[in-house]
Amino acid sequence: MQTARQQDPQTLVAAVRGATKHYPGVLALDDVDFEIRRGEVRALLGKNGAGKSTLIRLLTGATLPDSGEVTIDGAALTGSGTQRTVEAARLGVSAVYQELSLIVGMSIAENLFLGRWPSSMGVLSHGDMEHQARETLARLGLKLDPRRRVATLSPAERQLVEIARVMIGEPKLVILDEPTSSLAAAEVELLFNAVRSLAAAGIAVIYVSHRMSEIRQIAEAATVMRDGKVAGTVELAGADTAEIIRLMLGRSGQEDRLVGAARGGATVLSVRDLAVPPKLAGVSFDLKCGEVLGFAGLLGSGRTELLRAIGGLDGVRAGTVLLGDKDITRGSYGERVKSGIGMTPESRKEDGIMPLLGVNENTVATDFSKVAVNGVISASRMAEAAGDIIRRIGIKTARIDTPVGTLSGGNQQKVVIGRWVYAGSRILLLDEPTRGVDVEAKSQIYAIIRQLAAEGKSIIFVSSEIEELPKVCDRVLVLKDGNFVQEFSAPGIETDALMAACL
Amino acid sequence: MSVTTTTPDRRRGFRLFALDMNEIGLIVILLLLYFGFGATTNGFLSANNHLSLLRDAASIAIAAWAVTLIIIAGEIDVSVGPMVAFTSVCLAFMLKADVNVALAILAALAIGGALGTFAGSLRAYFGVPSFVATLGLWSALRGMSFFTTNALPVTFPDNAFLDILADNIFGIPTSAIVMLVLFAIFSFVSQKTAYGRSIFAVGGNANAAELCGINVARIRVLIFTTSGVMAALAGVLLTARLGSGNAGTASGLEFDVIAAVVIGGTALSGGRGSMLGTLLGVFVITLIGNGLVLRGINPFFQEVVRGVIIVAAVLANILVTRYRERRIFGA
Repeated sequence: MQTARQQDPQTLVAAVRGATKHYPGVLALDDVDFEIRRGEVRALLGKNGAGKSTLIRLLTGATLPDSGEVTIDGAALTGSGTQRTVEAARLGVSAVYQELSLIVGMSIAENLFLGRWPSSMGVLSHGDMEHQARETLARLGLKLDPRRRVATLSPAERQLVEIARVMIGEPKLVILDEPTSSLAAAEVELLFNAVRSLAAAGIAVIYVSHRMSEIRQIAEAATVMRDGKVAGTVELAGADTAEIIRLMLGRSGQEDRLVGAARGGATVLSVRDLAVPPKLAGVSFDLKCGEVLGFAGLLGSGRTELLRAIGGLDGVRAGTVLLGDKDITRGSYGERVKSGIGMTPESRKEDGIMPLLGVNENTVATDFSKVAVNGVISASRMAEAAGDIIRRIGIKTARIDTPVGTLSGGNQQKVVIGRWVYAGSRILLLDEPTRGVDVEAKSQIYAIIRQLAAEGKSIIFVSSEIEELPKVCDRVLVLKDGNFVQEFSAPGIETDALMAACL
Repeated sequence: MSVTTTTPDRRRGFRLFALDMNEIGLIVILLLLYFGFGATTNGFLSANNHLSLLRDAASIAIAAWAVTLIIIAGEIDVSVGPMVAFTSVCLAFMLKADVNVALAILAALAIGGALGTFAGSLRAYFGVPSFVATLGLWSALRGMSFFTTNALPVTFPDNAFLDILADNIFGIPTSAIVMLVLFAIFSFVSQKTAYGRSIFAVGGNANAAELCGINVARIRVLIFTTSGVMAALAGVLLTARLGSGNAGTASGLEFDVIAAVVIGGTALSGGRGSMLGTLLGVFVITLIGNGLVLRGINPFFQEVVRGVIIVAAVLANILVTRYRERRIFGA
């Protein structure tokens, strides 16, 4: 599979040789070799935890390998700690991450030179700055006024400003991490033009993305990672998508028990032509009683937006959401909670837990009235209700009132799910419920979800880890470009086929 | 589900008083201040001075109970002093016009409640930071009080009911009794009702509280309504004590109140705090003020000492919290 690439050492921009990296309990990189030439655009693929981020961190100097060597522009990185990052940056490595790091209240020019504004005698020279900014933007083929405030820019333009900022440092290698995930389809072309200008200027680009159609447009070759190893580097011109998926997933076989044939229940939630521009264009589906329905899709495919629209957290442009036969499209989130819908957010820390409050109070917060007598919260009732949830869900906590912030991620997630079980919700919207939890907690969460479904609750399960969907879902809908493109039903949901539908 | 769990304890281990480090520290500071002043300052331990201590404490504490809730919710209220003065002036005008005393007091409380609700609504529905909303009130109410009274005291005929409020019951100042009754009520509400626990939830993580179905906006309005009513009540008691409405009264009270709450261990970032802590904080502030006056320290220098002690107490609180978090969260 490894295509022989005889590399002229003169044109090598970066090379990783024999790199191994252990984290506690995980072998993140296992004897990895990686090379990239001047002016090359290389796609980097792999599922979550395959080692992509660790490889990127090696190149940016953020991580020190246990063994092996990283060479940038002919010079091996020698430092450790922050010194190594500085060294890599000086040799010309720049990375643009998903979460944007612009200061929206400042102008484009000020952002480009953030922290190193050109000045003379301690006075900023705005003219100089704007002139240089204009030049840099022009090199990327951008027609943006450097005096514009970043707050007035579209997400794509902001992404481009990030790239322009990287250009200021005259980089040799630019790493783009899922650059199109926050962009609408029409904006992607702008980004591609910028990437092509980078390559034309002799800069090597590592492009992390899973959108096959985009990768084929922009990259010549793709390096696929799996389980900490480079599974292969393929020339995109000659490779079909199935082959790449095989490289990503490997042939490990599926150990976990899969879900059996779905039972047909009554429809409890029915969504018709739901539109939330720019991410969702007329989505329709039905959720049945006792069903676990999975939403698959790449980062930025609109999964979270769809869930938030169903939950009433964001407004919708058009379409209807029917709960039974009641139209709740315009209802607030609070009204949906009262009628039996519960939602667990993607970001547990920011939106899920109240870290200083105990497990008991975090659980009963969805409905204090159930543990109150005449408006007074009864300690014994609260202990009973929370104890019941702790037992049913299997939350590991020393005491019933242990602050939730001190629990492990998996147990925090169980509390966040458990509070809706306590509230008696009939429909659960779970956004990435297994994110950031360990393997054991993951299978426990799968078991909890199946158990809840068996009790007659209906669950929407959103996950970016494709291989967990067949373990939990009766049915999986694949979201792509703002709409469902394919539906899979248990038994026999194939991870490969799901992945292919997503890419 | 075949997941085994350690059976969680029903209650914390047996403890006589559920005091945390900060509260124990405050009690130690209080004892040191009390016996320190007692041993060195003439008249500090007299019965009369104890009554005076209680009265001074009440004037801060009644407003501080509500401000504790506000700070736990992650908000702030700087309008307390002018709110007290304004409601006191309103009450005095009404009594001067021979309005029934019960009606006048209720009206004064309603005015405080309405003004608080206004500030709370600005915060909850328009996203005006509570500091700005109450700063506006701070300026407007003080100005309104001076404007309507021409900076002159508003006197009114003697009133038997107000005399009771200004006097002692069984030898204890009425205002101190009001303070203690309200302490019991606020402790109860903050610990034992959905409203109280929702305040902690909102202050701890407003997004999570919202997703739990807690009406965050309503909580935010209600805490300011409560604060307005409590400031008005403090205004009523002050009017009774002074026998007139004064536009310049309770100057700087908001700072004493906030200092007491913060010394009491309530985090300005929200989510954590207790009424007991605030009670202790109120007494720390009152003891320092009283002791320094009795010692005849230059009144200007008293302010300096007070400033130093407030910052020192809060610094100690932060250090304790940091230590505790390192232990709990293992960071």
